[in-house]
Amino acid sequence: MAVAGITLVLFSGVLHAEEYTFDISETEKKPYHLGGYLEFRPILSVLDKDAALYELWFYNRDEGQTLPEYYAALQLEGSVEKGPVKIFARTNTQYQDTYLDTTFKTTVFEGWLAVRPAPFLAVDAGKRTFKWGKGYAWNPVAFVDRPKNPNEPDLNLEGFVVASAEYIKSFSGPLKTLSVTPVLLPVSEQVNDDFGASDHLNVAGKIYLLLYDTDIDFLFLSGGSKTSRYGLDFSRNITTNLEVHGEYARINDFRQNMIASDGNTSQTVSDVSNWLLGLRYLTGKDTTYIFEYYRNGAGFTEQQTRDYFTFIHDAYDYYLSSGDDAFLQKAAAVSARGYGAPNAGRSYLYLRVSQKEPFDIVYWTPAVTAIVNTEDKSFSITPEISYTGITNIELRLRAMVLAGSRLSEFGEKQNDFRVELMARYYF
Amino acid sequence: MRAFLIFLGLLAWAVPAAAIDGTELLRQVDRNLNPVSYESYRKLINIEPDGRKKEFTLFTVKKGRDKVASLFIAPASEKGRSTLRLGDNMWFYIPNVGKPIRITSLQSVVGGVFNNADILQLDYAEEYTVEKLEEQGSEYLLHLKAKTKTVAYDRIRLWAGKEKKLPTKIECLTEAGMLIKTLYFKDVKDFGGGIIRPAVIETDSPLYKDYKSIILVAKTKARDFKDEVFTLTFMPNLESLR
Repeated sequence: MAVAGITLVLFSGVLHAEEYTFDISETEKKPYHLGGYLEFRPILSVLDKDAALYELWFYNRDEGQTLPEYYAALQLEGSVEKGPVKIFARTNTQYQDTYLDTTFKTTVFEGWLAVRPAPFLAVDAGKRTFKWGKGYAWNPVAFVDRPKNPNEPDLNLEGFVVASAEYIKSFSGPLKTLSVTPVLLPVSEQVNDDFGASDHLNVAGKIYLLLYDTDIDFLFLSGGSKTSRYGLDFSRNITTNLEVHGEYARINDFRQNMIASDGNTSQTVSDVSNWLLGLRYLTGKDTTYIFEYYRNGAGFTEQQTRDYFTFIHDAYDYYLSSGDDAFLQKAAAVSARGYGAPNAGRSYLYLRVSQKEPFDIVYWTPAVTAIVNTEDKSFSITPEISYTGITNIELRLRAMVLAGSRLSEFGEKQNDFRVELMARYYF
Repeated sequence: MRAFLIFLGLLAWAVPAAAIDGTELLRQVDRNLNPVSYESYRKLINIEPDGRKKEFTLFTVKKGRDKVASLFIAPASEKGRSTLRLGDNMWFYIPNVGKPIRITSLQSVVGGVFNNADILQLDYAEEYTVEKLEEQGSEYLLHLKAKTKTVAYDRIRLWAGKEKKLPTKIECLTEAGMLIKTLYFKDVKDFGGGIIRPAVIETDSPLYKDYKSIILVAKTKARDFKDEVFTLTFMPNLESLR
């Protein structure tokens, strides 16, 4: 091996000597990159047989009190770079062995070609994600992204097919950076059909400013597949260990599908505001607090949620007495149109506390996350511990406890408790 | 007359020490460590008490007095992660998360003894004032105090060789004077282009007893960059600079 770098010999006592080398070939750039990860994730859930969502999804099956499920994922990513041109692709293959089925599905998360003739200018086309917004658990201004799961906010998401550009300008003075990102997002039966109404060319954009040491974004989406919407976000360090952030989104003519406790469905159209305020605080002992309040103006009120769960309970009782599942099917259809979204209520608190390397034991990070629906006072609490001490291996063990009264969001989830192990190998 | 000559003699002996300006000396130390704008590769090695190691390789670019960015190029689990510092603003980008988040200088993005300030270090003279300068044999000892509260270490004691004006040891302390970590600079090498500096920085910390960290420096060279490289928007594209 040709080692052209640096060698350090450390002597620890007389008998032990170790050599550290920096092989310069490690720093040489290849024109291509291939990588990704392999993940295994077994989950064990303890079911709540009295819960509305158990009745909705398990009414015609008996899975016992506990439900084991097995997930595996292979995420591959590759890129080729030649001068100002870069081609990038990321695929995600999911294997799921659940109570419903065993499935194997590959999805192209991203696949795009970008041309960057100078650091301040780029144009690209293809499937990509943007991840707009400053919130950790929720992003009301992520107008061109799929909604993320607040329990797994760091996961990659599938993107949409777009054409976009990026222009950056740096300044001296209070305004240090200005960048503009225009996005074209077509929707047809063949392309981006799950984004919204077909046969529209949607226009979105983001203007970013670093102004007085504050990140500020102005964002919008218009074009017909979804109703027009606009918003802003910000992030700023108030002190060296305290960051505050927020998002505000205004959605025009938002359509909300509701179901009454007697099964009557209705739709309202109104302008709604979704917003979020949050902070990230790091203590001197390396404890990180992430706290967010999320006001989901497009969500369901406590009474609307109670009506939905009441209808499911009644539909289940009717099924038990008649064997007719038509009302349960109706509830399932309504769920797909809004009630089934993660955190579909109006008002939430999020708190995550993580302690880096407690007792100076490196690479171990315990954390606990709580999500509270402040209207019905139901909540989930997720303690976890992760370990990153082995190169390219990430291990995480987490448990989730869901609690709440009957007809509340977390009280009516299909499980009361779940425990999950995640083992990920990066290559 | 005799008394006058003795006075002149004493003055001639005293002038070299008295003439040393601590701030100017600190600037020289900074310049001897790195050019004003440069690119460099570093390998960070965390060594656990049982001898197990974890290594990270970074590509670092810096421009002027307040712009620095680092890109992780190894291992695979960290590849593509990047950190950016623009004055007092710091961000961390993780490809999986897909967007930069604001961080603080004391947070660690790699675990172990290193924190962000070690990875995104600006010139010492940019962040510290010289409170006191001492001479200790063949070395100067500079007592530094952070200019603002945003700096990771409130106080620093920096030993630099008189001849090469390169640091040999740095102690990082809290405001109360508690030792956080010690950096030992070793293996002075010629990197070319007039850059002659330590290629190895060994770190230990009383907070991480029996743990040790090593920084190996390679391929440091002067290079100029567009200001737009040091922006939050450009962070996912730092690889294109290599």
